[in-house]
This record gives sequence, structure tokens and C-alpha cells, in this order.
Amino acid sequence: MSSIKEFLTADHSRCDELFAVMEDKAMVSLGDAKAACEEFKDATERHFQMEERVMFKEFEEKTGMTEGPTSMMRHEHTQMRNLTKQMCEAIDDNNSDRFFGLTETLMILLQQHNMKEEQMLYPLAQQHLNAESDEVVEMMQSMTVQ
Amino acid sequence: MDFNGLSMDQAPPISAPLRFYLVAPVFGIIAGFMILFSSVDMLSSRYSMDSVVITHAITIGFLGFVMLGSLTQMLPVLAGVVIPKVDAISKISFGLLVVGVLTMLLGLMGESTLFNIISLLSLGVGFTLMIGVIVLAILKVKNFNATVKAMSTSLVFASLVVIMGLFLLLTYIDNDFAEYRYVVANIHSVWGIFGFGGILIIGVTFQVLPMFYVAPRFKQFCKKRVVWIISFGLVLWLFLNIYFDAYSYLAKIWIALFFWAFATTVWKKLNLRRRPISDVTVWYWRVSSIFLTLGSFFWVFDDYFDNQYTVLVGLFIGGGFIFAIMVGMLYKIVPFLVWFHLNAMGYMTIPTINEMINKRLAKLQFILLMLSFFGFVITFFYSQFLEISAICFISSMMLLEYNIIAPVLLYMKIKKTKPDFDMSAFATS
Repeated sequence: MSSIKEFLTADHSRCDELFAVMEDKAMVSLGDAKAACEEFKDATERHFQMEERVMFKEFEEKTGMTEGPTSMMRHEHTQMRNLTKQMCEAIDDNNSDRFFGLTETLMILLQQHNMKEEQMLYPLAQQHLNAESDEVVEMMQSMTVQ
Repeated sequence: MDFNGLSMDQAPPISAPLRFYLVAPVFGIIAGFMILFSSVDMLSSRYSMDSVVITHAITIGFLGFVMLGSLTQMLPVLAGVVIPKVDAISKISFGLLVVGVLTMLLGLMGESTLFNIISLLSLGVGFTLMIGVIVLAILKVKNFNATVKAMSTSLVFASLVVIMGLFLLLTYIDNDFAEYRYVVANIHSVWGIFGFGGILIIGVTFQVLPMFYVAPRFKQFCKKRVVWIISFGLVLWLFLNIYFDAYSYLAKIWIALFFWAFATTVWKKLNLRRRPISDVTVWYWRVSSIFLTLGSFFWVFDDYFDNQYTVLVGLFIGGGFIFAIMVGMLYKIVPFLVWFHLNAMGYMTIPTINEMINKRLAKLQFILLMLSFFGFVITFFYSQFLEISAICFISSMMLLEYNIIAPVLLYMKIKKTKPDFDMSAFATS
């Protein structure tokens, strides 16, 4: 089974791919990107919840750090949820300028967030949760989105 | 491991990078006016006083300021470390560097010993402070990724370049014009361009191309080896240049080949990027790749023409490559910082980063800058194009200042209003 770091990093790539598909479609016709936007929204929500409800929780329990990096990552998740919601609304309003403005902003926020997780938080989580790594990955895979 | 880079309350205040970014185009404008009132004969020689002064208005005033501003901002994000007392140090260092550059320009042009001494002290202390705190921060890094390694390497070159620069400034004060001075000046410029600027850009590119454009990530060989290979080339070049100058072209070929490989890789990664959207920043990356390739090989072939074209090499690499990439990145970083800091303070209904800078004006700025670069190249052969090229350059710098100040004014305006949510627990400034 893949490690926590490998599993979540691969999921970042999956979300990036969905994001790119959505932008490809929106460039042809904004209306056509609606389904792709919802798919991206669902995928990122799942990713955020896998972290917040499983990995962060395990990490916080193990290290006792609840106000550290996980708190900041949760905050950035909130920022991204808000932007994603606005993005899907821009499609409903057929506002192309707004949509691409939001995608540009979200993409940079998302990428710098991923970079911090992949380069700092995931290696650290892997280090602290190494013994239960398989179990944590399995819990994330089987988690139902709320 | 240090988590500080992940925490907003430890991130540098927005003013730390912005003060460097906003002043950089002013030095561009100053350099433009100096070119306008200079003569082609003076500018055609790299060692003429006009060339030296204009070059430093650009290299320290523009390139140096953008690089230092970016280091204060990117180090916490990329390396997870906090630069100690970043706000206070960056303020002091910024003030000293501004004074240092201005007095250097005045001191060299006016042959004023007093101004040169003030400049020597201001630049010496300003650079030492800034490089010193960045090095202290890097020493705390546990996760030494490719970008941090490149930043560290470029800072080693930066330190040596600064020491050599201060020494050269000192030679103007005590009127020491010995032959070895030209050797030092040559090493100072080559290590400054390729060692400090070039390696720093390579390291940052590893992160920002995937981050801004969802381009494929760089291969491990590239991330792990290229910086060392180029550094080796630069040290080899130094050795050959001093002891076996007839063979220094071998080191030049080595360095040029790897910079060319880097330029080609950037071009290919941009072709393969997952975000098809093209904006002015992509144009800047493209032209930078072309100029870097041209400049690297011109630098090698310049040897066969008794270094007649060194000014063109500087124009291609310093201008077309390093300068152009930095302008492009300012268009991404400044609006993002404004958005990020406002959002962190609880302002949710704010313009997106695309709406903060007028795209047409950014394109116009790009066109003017490119016209000026091509104009300067043509001026090297046909002197009548100097004034029009300088005017294009000055206009592009004024426009750049306007374009990057617009998001900052927006930031100040929005900050005066009440946020949508109280985020004081996270806010920085």
C-alpha cells in the first residue's frame, strides 16, 4: 500500500487534472464546464475531508499539536472551498471573466498549499504516523464524504 | 521540523516584499533616463563610467531589489522557515540599499569620494544584513529541497559578488586602477549574472512553473544536479580565466550548454502545461528562454571577437532573461500577495487576482519593453535608435510601476473597510 505522502500527493495530482479539464471545457464554452466544475468541487471536498477528518486528526492526536500546521491548512481549505463555490456560481451566471479570475486565484492558492503539504506536512505526518500508515490510508480511502 | 512557514502569523508582512518590488521600477526609470542622456560610444564599452552606472542602476536597483523581495516572501513558503526579524531588517536594509544605489550613481558619475564612501558603507551593511538573516533562516531548514539548495548556492555567489563589488567601489575611492581590477570586475559580472541571478532563477523555476501554470514537474536529475554542474562550471571558469585564459572558453561552453538546456526545458514545460491559458507572464517566460539561449552562446562566441559584443551579452542575459522573468513574476506575485493577505484578514468579496491588473496595460508594457530591448540591440550597430529605445524603456518601466501599484492601492482601500469575517487570529498586517 502507498504511504500517506504518496497517497495524498497522488490525490493532489488527480484534483489538478480535474481542474485542467474544467478549464479546457470552459475555454470552449463556459456552460459546458458546469459538470466538470462540480466534479472538481466534489474531488477537492473529498480530499479536504480525508485530511481534516482522518489524517490531520490522527496527526494531532499523535503529536498533540492542534494549533500548528494543521490549523493553518484547515484555514486554507476554507479559503479554497469559498473560491470553488464562487467559481461554480460564475458558471451559473455565465460570467466568463469572473470565472477565469477565480480559477487563476484558486490555482495559485491551491498549488502553494499543495507545495507546503507535500514538502513539509506530509513527510512529517509520515514520520509520526509511520507505524499506522497503512491503516490511515485505508481509512481515508473508505471515508464517506459528509 | 519547523512549521513556521505554514503559519500565517509567521509569514512575512506584505510590506516586506512590496517595498522592494515597488521601488524596483523607479530604478528602471532612472536607468532609462541615464541611457537617454548618454552616448552610444560610451554605452558600447562595458567599462565606461556610463555603462557601469547604468548597469548597477539595473542590477542592484531593479534585479537585486526584486530578488531580495522575493527571497523574503518565498523562503517561508518554500522552505518552512522564518527570516528572523524580517520586517525590521528588511526596512533597515531597504533604506540602506536605496541610499547605497543612489549615492553610488551620484558618486561614480560626479566622481565624488564622499558619495562613494557613503555608498560603500550603505551597500555593504545593507547587503550584509539582508543576506545574513536569509542565511540564518536557511541554516534552520531541515527539508533541503532543490529550490532551497539553489537559493543557498546563489546566496554564496551573491555574497562573493557583493564583496567583489565593494572592492571595486573602493578602487574608485582610492584611485587604484591596476590591471587586476578588470579581472575582478569580470568575475564580479559573470558570477553576478550566472551565479547569483541565473542559479536563483533556476531554483525558483522548479517551483513556480508547476505552481503557476500546472506545468510538469522538473526531473530529479535537473533538480538535483544542474545547480552543482553550473556552479562547478563557474568555479572552473574562474580558475581558467585567471591562470589559463586561452582555455576559459571550455568552461564557458560548459555553462552555456546547461543554461541552454534549462531554457529549452522551460520552453518544453510551458508547451506541456496543463493550464492552456496564455497571459503576459507566459510571454515573458518564452522570451526569457530565447534570450537566455542567445545570450549564453553569444557569451561563448564573444571570445572569438575580442569581447566586442560583451555589452550585447549583458543585454541578452541581464535584460532579456533575468530582467524579463522578474517583470513577469511581479505580475503574478503582487496581485496574489494582495489577494492572499486580504483574504486571510477576512475580506472574502474582493477582486480576483486577474482583475487587479489591467491586462491590456500589462500587454502594452510587455510590448514596450521588448521594443526597447530590440532597439538597444539595433542601437549597438546603428546609433540613431538610442533615444527611441530609451523612451520605450522608460515608458515600459512607468507602466510597470503603475500596473503593480494598482493592486497595492486596492489593498490599502479595502483594508480601510470592515472585513466580511473577523480573522484577527490569522491576520498578519
